[in-house]
Amino acid sequence: MTALLTVESLCFSVATGHVFQGSKTILDHVSFQVPRGAATAYLGPNGAGKTSTFRILCGLAAAASGSIHFDGQSVEAGLPPARFGFMPEQPYFYKNLSPNELLQGLGKLSGLDKQSLTPRIAEWAEKLEFSDILQQKLSTCSKGQVQRVGLAQALMHQPDFILLDEPLSGLDPLGRECVRKIIQAEVKRGATVLFSSHVLADAEAMCENVIVLNDGQIVFSGKTNSLLNTEENWIIRARWADDQQPALGTADIGSTDICTTEVGTADIQRDADDTWRITGNTEQQRNQIIHQILQSSHSQLISVEPERRTLEQAFVELLRGKNS
Amino acid sequence: MKKAMYQIFEIAHLTFSDAIRNRISYGVFVFLIIIITTSIALASVTMGRTELMILDLGLGAISILGNLMAIVITIQTLQQEKENRTLYVLITRLDGRWKYLLGKFCGLAAVLGLQIIAMCALLALSILPFGDIYWLSFIQASIATVIEIWLVIAIAMLFAQSSSLFLAILFTVSVDITGRFTSVIQQFGEQASSTALRGLTETMFYILPNLEAVNLRNGAGYIESFPAAQFANVIMYGASEIAFLLFIGMIIFERRNLS
Repeated sequence: MTALLTVESLCFSVATGHVFQGSKTILDHVSFQVPRGAATAYLGPNGAGKTSTFRILCGLAAAASGSIHFDGQSVEAGLPPARFGFMPEQPYFYKNLSPNELLQGLGKLSGLDKQSLTPRIAEWAEKLEFSDILQQKLSTCSKGQVQRVGLAQALMHQPDFILLDEPLSGLDPLGRECVRKIIQAEVKRGATVLFSSHVLADAEAMCENVIVLNDGQIVFSGKTNSLLNTEENWIIRARWADDQQPALGTADIGSTDICTTEVGTADIQRDADDTWRITGNTEQQRNQIIHQILQSSHSQLISVEPERRTLEQAFVELLRGKNS
Repeated sequence: MKKAMYQIFEIAHLTFSDAIRNRISYGVFVFLIIIITTSIALASVTMGRTELMILDLGLGAISILGNLMAIVITIQTLQQEKENRTLYVLITRLDGRWKYLLGKFCGLAAVLGLQIIAMCALLALSILPFGDIYWLSFIQASIATVIEIWLVIAIAMLFAQSSSLFLAILFTVSVDITGRFTSVIQQFGEQASSTALRGLTETMFYILPNLEAVNLRNGAGYIESFPAAQFANVIMYGASEIAFLLFIGMIIFERRNLS
């Protein structure tokens, strides 16, 4: 999969406001790629530099050094307006206008013609479930409703590249589900999505790729699976006939929940569905256990898979490892 | 060029639609009605030409209120757009930040221009029952007041996009007040013996917008009309000063990191 966006060695600093302290580095040689036609999560703790990266990509701030390439073309002052949609974090917009008036204006600014705008706005309002407030003043709308309007303005001109800063913050579980579906639908359409989020479960569910930023530096960039799968740990699921105890090595299931094989010990425990979960960390041991299960006429192998962490666990481990 | 004009128009349209519904506008109208009513009451108990007294008080009130409205609405609008991040979704749709600033100016100029015209019309209606004045000079003075307010918008925009709310108000009010005394500053410099002081006052005279240069309120209604050259000067000076201020604002805004 080729990259739609390539960021190389991006550096950015801000003035601290103190005359003698100079400036603070926000981004320190940040490099990453955003694969075309996929969703990528841009994660990091507060103050890591996520919003600053987005501001540079949008042309709202200038990087001190580094380069940005969009679809093979070098970008100097922000991504091409016609090809990308941007939703800032917690937008509020014009409080005296209705969502319809706002979207009409923004749609025209994006080059959409008057005739197609009204049905398009109605379509997005329905998709994002804010049809009932379309003619209501924005000052009377809730934070979540404004958030949905914000998402609609970023998507309604069907851009190739969608940049969303915390699109899920301020939304209730139903709203998050709705936005998740919309993002997945946009990826299906062929759009490339880059978004920042603190809701890691949603990022895990939606994204094939993850970029993790900490203290202005990239600490991970790659496939979500490769971050979630631990390198050596594995899980074997198996079932034994007639509710028998697993016959693995010199297992003493009742007292220690550990089975000992010729090559070491593995954890074993019974799950609620009467299956047994065996976890270990050496390849040789894994193969031996699989062999034993397959040889026995009383046992049935259900699955063998690498042990997966949640994105939240991986994220915390990654940052703790980096900080220590 | 057509696309640029269209985008500027759309920014102006969004700004106009939002600002025209700003509560400050309605409050000011109520205040103006109170002032006109008071001036009518005052005029009725004084000797002389009542209509001219109402005219003088009314035009003065419109100028003061117009200035306040221009400062408050312009700075409030620009600061809120920064804080609410509306600015971001607008700028990322444009291929030049200058369009945003120009669109913003056009939108605010339309709102405040319309309000000044409405206030002047209201003043004219309140004068009519008391007698006749020279209407042409009144119209010329009203147009000059609109230009004065547009000039204040341009000053407020220059500071609102480049500094904080408090500083923007402070700088704009300072320039607004000193801009009414630029001739006095120049005269003071001419009389000074120090060359440095003379140079400083001369520089201030040319840098500061001269708001008195667009003031035709003295004599409005009293004389048939202002000379065409004087009226043309008001328009030319106002237009060139606004263009200069917007140009400076655009240069600063293009290079600024937005946070």
